[in-house]
Amino acid sequence: MNTYTYKKAPLTESGNSQDWVFRIEDRCVIPFSEGNPDYQEYLAWLEEGNEPLPADDPS
Amino acid sequence: MTSKIVVNNIEADAGVSTVTFSSKVSATEFIGPVVGNVTGDATGLSGSPTLSGITSISTTNLTVNGNAYPATGPLSNRNLIINGAMQVAQRGTSFAVTTSETYTIDRFQTGHGGSFNLNSTITQSSTAPAGFTSSLKVDVTSTSTPTATQNGLVQHKVEAQNLQHLQYGTSGAQTCTLTFWVRSNKTGTYCLQILQQDASQYQLHEYSISSADTWEQKTITIVGNTATAINNDNGKGFDIRWHLACGSDDHVAASSTWTGSSEGFFATSNQVNLFDSTSNEWYLAGVQLEVGSVATPFEHRSYGDELARCQRYYLHIHKAGTTGYGDGASQTARSLTTITFPVQMRNDPTFSDANGSFSRYRVSSTIGESATGLTAHYLSYTTTDSGSNYWQLTGGYFSYNAEL
Repeated sequence: MNTYTYKKAPLTESGNSQDWVFRIEDRCVIPFSEGNPDYQEYLAWLEEGNEPLPADDPS
Repeated sequence: MTSKIVVNNIEADAGVSTVTFSSKVSATEFIGPVVGNVTGDATGLSGSPTLSGITSISTTNLTVNGNAYPATGPLSNRNLIINGAMQVAQRGTSFAVTTSETYTIDRFQTGHGGSFNLNSTITQSSTAPAGFTSSLKVDVTSTSTPTATQNGLVQHKVEAQNLQHLQYGTSGAQTCTLTFWVRSNKTGTYCLQILQQDASQYQLHEYSISSADTWEQKTITIVGNTATAINNDNGKGFDIRWHLACGSDDHVAASSTWTGSSEGFFATSNQVNLFDSTSNEWYLAGVQLEVGSVATPFEHRSYGDELARCQRYYLHIHKAGTTGYGDGASQTARSLTTITFPVQMRNDPTFSDANGSFSRYRVSSTIGESATGLTAHYLSYTTTDSGSNYWQLTGGYFSYNAEL
């Protein structure tokens, strides 16, 4: 069983959030797509009370 | 005694419908229709006999030149397994497997119940049965014993919308046939479980490896499920599991009908433990799943065809030594790059730059906006450096994962 941690995607220049999250350990961009097993795993991770790290400053 | 009667017509007497010859009839030529049922084997035919004028043959077991023909379904595109010949290995050819699900040769993945440690190396091996060039090899590197709910297996998942012609959930649900080549030094009983995801039901079949270090072809009949349909979507239809070890809590009876109410890993108590010796190895090759009750010859596809099918689920793009330049020069004038995938992927994929060398980018379909730049069709990204106008990948590759 892999144990991953996540980081939020940076905001856009307009200050909007983006619909993907970064998985830190294997440098994966995971889109918020229901059929994506990695996204489902991320949702389960959130359900356990975990929180992603804040996004990097995009600039 | 030899006798001879010369006539030009034999016909039944009045009131008699059938003329009976009590022994063999020999003729140099038979002219006229054969009406009614013809029974018995036509053996010993010689001299290149020709049947003409036949408009259909109805049979459940037609073999020509030693090759069985399908009892139903098409002659081509029969094999529902992708990469059953183990040709395509985009991720590499050797994988150290421990406790996590690991994709190995394309479309084939390990399975671990209870975080069971497979303690093995899985490779694309050139040891293969006649007519094949590759196999999937599990080579045990450290011993493990499954306890309780622990399982170790190799699995292959089939997309649901590719199984609609099986007509599951109707009275016409089709029987399928699974064939595969297997080889191991460890003889004994192994289990093959097939899960119908949308029904949370499975069938569990045993097969035996009888001779050590010898390729054996196994054939398993999978009757259709008349009760529950396979959803017509891009989710998981079948999950085919070759068990290699199973803890006692997951021992159940074999079943050639759909049973259970769980997606769990199950095997019978006869399942051997492949991982009880570092000398053990297990090979899988020539996997074919087809509609009908007849096992037909393996449907070999070209490498290009098979690769394209695999790329729907995983895509590997080499970008070694690449540096891309945009035309922006500031944070508000960034460049936008789009990579269009060669085939539409099953789902919006997980994207990775694998070795971490890809930098100065942000996934976005438009500069400065939040719309996703990662879809089943393409990846687009923008540069992120203030005062810089390039993204770069100095080595490695991009990977896109849309596996089931």
